[in-house]
Amino acid sequence: MTQPTTLAEAARLAQDIEHHLNQVLIGQRQVVREVLIALVSGGHVLIEGVPGLGKTLLVRSLGKVLELDFNRIQFTPDLMPTDVTGHAMYDQKSEQFRIRRGPAFTQLLLADEINRAPAKTQAALLEVMQERQITIEGKAFTLNEPYMVLATQNPLDQEGTYPLPEAELDRFLFKVLIDYPDHADETRLVNMVLDGTIRASLDVESLSPVTDAAGLKAMKALSDSVLIDDEVLDYALRIVRATRDFSGLSHGASPRASIALARASRVQALFEGRDFVTPDDVQQVARPVLRHRIQLSADAEIEGQTPETVLGRLLEQVEAPKQ
Amino acid sequence: MELEKASARLAPRSPWQTVDLGTKLYRQWAAPVLWVWLAFTLVPFGLMLGWSLLAEALWPLFLFWWLKPLWERPLLAWYSHALFAETLTLKQLFQRWRHYALPGLASQLTWRRFSPARSFNTCVWQLEGAKGEQLCQRLRALNSYPSNRAGIMTIVVLHLEQFMAMGLMVLLYTLVPWQFSLEWSDWFYDQGALQMAIASATLYLVMCVTEPLYVACGFALYLNKRTWLEGWDLQLGLTRLGRHRATRTGAGATVLILLGLMLPLPEPVSAQPAPRNEEQQQVIELLASPDYMPFEERTERQWKDRDDDSNSWLEKFWKHFFDNLDDDEQEEPSSRPFDIPDVVLWILFWALFAGLVIWLLTKVMDQLGLGRRHQAPTPVIPTHVAGMDIRRQSLPKNLRQAVEKALAANDIRLALSLMLRSALASLLRRYPVALAAGSTEQQCLRNLKATHGEPLPILYLQRLIQAWISTAWAHRPVDADAVRALLTDWEQINAEEAANA
Repeated sequence: MTQPTTLAEAARLAQDIEHHLNQVLIGQRQVVREVLIALVSGGHVLIEGVPGLGKTLLVRSLGKVLELDFNRIQFTPDLMPTDVTGHAMYDQKSEQFRIRRGPAFTQLLLADEINRAPAKTQAALLEVMQERQITIEGKAFTLNEPYMVLATQNPLDQEGTYPLPEAELDRFLFKVLIDYPDHADETRLVNMVLDGTIRASLDVESLSPVTDAAGLKAMKALSDSVLIDDEVLDYALRIVRATRDFSGLSHGASPRASIALARASRVQALFEGRDFVTPDDVQQVARPVLRHRIQLSADAEIEGQTPETVLGRLLEQVEAPKQ
Repeated sequence: MELEKASARLAPRSPWQTVDLGTKLYRQWAAPVLWVWLAFTLVPFGLMLGWSLLAEALWPLFLFWWLKPLWERPLLAWYSHALFAETLTLKQLFQRWRHYALPGLASQLTWRRFSPARSFNTCVWQLEGAKGEQLCQRLRALNSYPSNRAGIMTIVVLHLEQFMAMGLMVLLYTLVPWQFSLEWSDWFYDQGALQMAIASATLYLVMCVTEPLYVACGFALYLNKRTWLEGWDLQLGLTRLGRHRATRTGAGATVLILLGLMLPLPEPVSAQPAPRNEEQQQVIELLASPDYMPFEERTERQWKDRDDDSNSWLEKFWKHFFDNLDDDEQEEPSSRPFDIPDVVLWILFWALFAGLVIWLLTKVMDQLGLGRRHQAPTPVIPTHVAGMDIRRQSLPKNLRQAVEKALAANDIRLALSLMLRSALASLLRRYPVALAAGSTEQQCLRNLKATHGEPLPILYLQRLIQAWISTAWAHRPVDADAVRALLTDWEQINAEEAANA
């Protein structure tokens, strides 16, 4: 299995993974790119989009291409924290307590419609996402690397949902918006299904593994060596800090967002085949890093503004790095 | 009408106190007037609701609402008798219906349906039975000063009715078990039969309270107005005084008879002569004098009295301006605060008016997309791009000299920065493009290419930016010769541009 040793090899591998995923998930290049950046950065992703746009397919494909374990949890109002993490159960045969591991013991965890479960169940993921370990009956179990939670939520059907607490939102590196493919891509998708090139169901059999956990780990290590100039880093910080007192925002992003922005910018540069970060890389990943970490003010909401429009204004106003 | 029998104290009141009196009347007789209301409206409402549901149309219910003046008549008839100690039975109300319900009904259900003073005017139609010109004169007299505020009362009761109806619907909604999962908006916006029936029944229930209250308040306002104009309170007071004096006179006569029996008869005296016509006329004139009739009706603008004479010049000006608009007669020049001819004031007024009209027209045209604001904006040359100051005054006068100086100091980054700022300052004047403070150098290049294609100077900028990015962000400075080559190319481009110009 391919394991990159140089930045150039890592960039080629990243492009290869992207290429494979784009063959299955048609018309979602930006989504694929952002999910891969989050994976290489070691972060988690909150995906927001209406049903039927290939969120599950994306995660299954990712698992297949990267040879990673994959589990899916459908979050429901009666889901308990132990249904996610696992629990200790009494085994009558051995007359001992036995640990039953929950679906969170995996490498790629798809938390489908995460906002349908109550806060205590959502909170069960906090330790998993932040510390990458699960504690059952006082015993901590470390999870295998790489580990990524891909949580989804539907922006339309809000009845009977529990909005994610800010502490949990902050733990997602990216919030990715998945939208309908454009006309040309949708035409291509339908044609491919009709002529049998791909199947309409979640077909990932045609995909072949490109790399594995070790390759991904190597990519992550190489991304750490991508150069980020002081001016560019300062630019990233100024963007995050601007959210804290920007008109239209009542709540800005935390320092965790600054770290996430710098880290994601590096991986973005790697995916572009560069060993240094430019201000454009920062701008490229600023929206997915910040859109779930900011809170609109009441005035802005009444005016019909969205996090996207406010972030657009903010990025226009924060001066690009000086010479 | 025997005023002495009135169960309420008839005295001049303010409109608000009068409405309080109406509320008190309603509270005292809430039960009987509810029966009156139900007796006259329940069957018509039931029929119209049934018709509405069968026809799946709202107009039968609308008809019930439109006939409200008709439904109010029995209530007023009941109140007007009950106040003077005569309680009408339902049978009597039905028997007399034609007499009290028909006067003025046609106009009340047509062009006077939306009259805000309905509750007050109904009393005039129904209780006085006036018609034609006499009615108009009567209404004018009764609606003169002091205002009866019947219109405001109608607006208040109308809102009360709507809020109570909505509140009752909300209450019903909250009592529906959650398993039914009713959509809130359905109750207000859907036109289904169930929603219509519930909404109508709710409104009818609310009207069972508000209509008797509304009629009682209107009746109280009518009584108050007549008390003001006809001095009912004085009449009652004088009547009581007369009775008291008559009682005292009777006792005195007995005493006098007894004394007369004991004492010699006095000299005969003549009885008090009846007042003559001249004296009556004097009395009428006296009562009509300002001492007895202090009220007069005037409509004019008047400045509030100020204790001090510290009005600002602007206040004085406007005062003078409006005084001139009011009065056709010329004032004495000495009385004006400013000696400004009227023609100047009129020119000023019309200039202001014309300015306002033009301003409004401009706004309307902007809204319609016809204004100047919607014309293609001329790109403004930015002063900063990618954080770089590209104003001419911030750039060195001799670029080559400054670049060579930086290269001599082995500061490639500074040299490229100077060249980039100079190139951007020049190119953005030649090729205007929209840029924001947050635009990066690559965005600047992309926008230039998208707007102006790829002429030689923009291709040069691309090479320069590549060199800049390599030096500044990748920390791989290009060598000094490459910088000099770029500088030479830039000078050549400038020379060619100058020659072409």
